[in-house]
Amino acid sequence: MPEQHYEPEPAVAGAAIGGTVDVGVEEAETLEKRPKGRGGPGPRDRPRSLWSDAWRDLRRNPVFIISGLVILFLVLISLWPSAIASGSPLKCDLARAQEGSRPGHPFGFDGQGCDVYTRTVHGARTSVTVGVLATLGVAVLGSVLGALAGFFGGVWDSVLSRVTDVFFAIPVVLGGLVLLSVITSNTVWPVIGFIVLLGWPQIFRIARGSVITVKQNDYVQAARALGASPSRLMLRHIAPNAVAPVIVVATIALGTYIALEATLSYLGVGLKPPSVSWGIDISAASPYVRNAPHALLWPSGALAITVLAFIMLGDAVRDALDPKLR
Amino acid sequence: MLLEVRDLHVEFHTRDGVAKAVDGVGYGVDAGETLAVLGESGSGKSVTAQAVMGILDTPPGRITGGEVLFQGRDLLKLKEEERRRVRGAEMAMIFQDALSSLNPVLSVGDQLAEMFTVHRGMSRRDARAKAVELMDRVRIPAARERVGQYPHQFSGGMRQRIMIAMALALEPALIIADEPTTALDVTVQAQVMELLSELQREYDMGLILITHDLGVVADVADRIAVMYAGRIVESAPVHDIYKAPAHPYTRGLLDSVPRLDLKGRELYAIKGLPPNLTHVPPGCAFHPRCPLARDVCRTDEPPLYEVSPTRGSACHFWRECLNG
Repeated sequence: MPEQHYEPEPAVAGAAIGGTVDVGVEEAETLEKRPKGRGGPGPRDRPRSLWSDAWRDLRRNPVFIISGLVILFLVLISLWPSAIASGSPLKCDLARAQEGSRPGHPFGFDGQGCDVYTRTVHGARTSVTVGVLATLGVAVLGSVLGALAGFFGGVWDSVLSRVTDVFFAIPVVLGGLVLLSVITSNTVWPVIGFIVLLGWPQIFRIARGSVITVKQNDYVQAARALGASPSRLMLRHIAPNAVAPVIVVATIALGTYIALEATLSYLGVGLKPPSVSWGIDISAASPYVRNAPHALLWPSGALAITVLAFIMLGDAVRDALDPKLR
Repeated sequence: MLLEVRDLHVEFHTRDGVAKAVDGVGYGVDAGETLAVLGESGSGKSVTAQAVMGILDTPPGRITGGEVLFQGRDLLKLKEEERRRVRGAEMAMIFQDALSSLNPVLSVGDQLAEMFTVHRGMSRRDARAKAVELMDRVRIPAARERVGQYPHQFSGGMRQRIMIAMALALEPALIIADEPTTALDVTVQAQVMELLSELQREYDMGLILITHDLGVVADVADRIAVMYAGRIVESAPVHDIYKAPAHPYTRGLLDSVPRLDLKGRELYAIKGLPPNLTHVPPGCAFHPRCPLARDVCRTDEPPLYEVSPTRGSACHFWRECLNG
C-alpha cells in the first residue's frame, strides 16, 4: 500500500520527533494522526473525507489513468464524431467494397463499400449512449428499490427479492431475442429499456445487502439515539456509506451493457441498419471475414477496448473505495 | 423523579426460544444524580437502556410490559414520531466505541451541527459556530481548525469527547452512557469520565452510567443498581454497597476486583457462567453460582427485599450477606 488511509500508531512517534507538539499531561492524547510522508511536523491534517482519500488514490493509479483517458476519448468522439471523421457513415460506394487501407481511408472499406474508419468512430456514440443511459437507469431503479428493501425489510423486502429471482432466471440473450424482436422502433430506447429491465436486479441485490450491512453499524444506532428521522438516517447516514459497492458494480456493468448492445445488434434485434453500431458492423462483416478481415477487426477492436476500459475503471474505483480488498 | 423505569420486561424471540433479556427491571434517576448500572455482559443493562431510549430493534426484541416514566410521561405510550423528538433533545445516549458511533463519511463538525439544524432548525452557519463552541466545551484543542475533520483523524479519547459533545448539544435532561470508557486507554478513561461528570454537574443532568468497571463507579456514581440475568439484584447508594454488599453477587463482583492491600493472594472469581437467558434457572437465577444457596433458592424467586428505605436486595439471605 503506497499510502495508508487510517494512519497507524507510529504517527505518534513522528509527531513527537517533529518537536512542535506540546506534550501536556492533559492533552497527551492529541499526539495523533499527522500527515506522514510529507516530512516532519506539517500543519495539522487537512480534512480528509473518504471521497477525497479515494480520489487521491485514483489519481496515482495507472490503471485509472489509462482507462480514464480511453473513456474520455470515447465520450468526446461520441459527442463530436465529425471532429475526427468528417465523412458520413452512411455514404457508401459499392465499387470499393472490401478494399483495404487507402490514403484518407485508414481502416479500408466494408462489404457495402462504407468507410470502416468513419463507421467505427460514429459507432461509439451508440455504445456510449446505451452504456451510460442503461447504467443510469439500472443504478437508479436498482439502488432505490434495494435501499428501501434493505432499510425497511419485512414483507416488501421478501416480495422484491423474489421478483429479482424471477428476473435473474431470464436468460439475457434469449430474453432479448423474444422481447426485442417484436419492437419495430429503430432507436436506442428499446435496447436501453430491455437492459434496465434485466439489469436492475443485480444492483438491487448489491444495494440491499450494502444497506443491511451499513444499517447495523453503531453510528446509525447512535444517530437514531440522537433523534434522527428515518429519512435522515437513510439519506445522511446510510446511503453515503452504502453507495460505494453500487458505484463499483455499476461501472463494471457499464462495460458489459455496451457488449450486450453489440450482441443484440449483431443478432439483429438491437439496433438495425441504417443505425450505426459496432454490433451491426461486426454482424455485417462476419460473412466476409476471409476476404476483408479488417472490416471485422476494427469495430470488434473498438468494442473490446471500450468494454475493457470500463471494467478496468470499475476495478480501479473498487480498489480506491475499498482498500481492504487489495 | 426525572426518569423512573417500572417493572420493565423485554423479550427476544430467538431460535432457541424466548429470551427474557429484561425481566421486571425498575430503577430511577433524579436530576443531577448519577445511577450506575452494573452487570456482566448479557445481564440486560444495555437492553434496558435501549428500551428507555426507544432504539431497541423490534423485531427481534419486544417490550412486553412495564412503564418508562420520563418527566411524568410514559414514553412507551408515545408515538414513534413523538419519541423521536424526545431523543437527542431531552435524553441522549453515549455509546461504547466512539469510532464506530460516528459516521465515517461526515466531518465531525457536520455531525455536531446536525443536532442543531435538525432539532432546532438553525441555519447551517449558526449550527457550525455552535459545533465549534461544543468542541471547545469538551476541550478539544484547536476546535476551530479541526471542526472540518473526519472521525478517523481523531484519537479514541477525542472521538469520545465528540460523542459527549453530540449528546450534550441540546442540553438534555438525561444522558445514558453505555460503557463510555471501555474502549479507551486507562489514562484517557479518567479524563473522559471526569469531563462527563463535570458537565453533568454543570447542566444538572441525570446520568445513567452503564458499566462493568467498579473503579469508575466508586468515583462518580450516587446510586448503584446491580443487574443479573435481566433483573435488578441489588439497588443501593454507592457507599452502602462498598461498605457491605447485601447480595452475594455484588459481593462476588467486589471481591473480584484486584486490590493493593491484598497483593499476592489469589484473586477471587465468581464460579460458573451467567445463565442462558432462554433457560434461566428456577428460583433465584444466581443460585447455581451462589455460595449461600439453600433449597429455598432453587424453588422460590426472591423479591427485592427492603434492606433500608433507600436500599433493596433480591436475596433471601441478605442479612447473612450484609454481615459478611
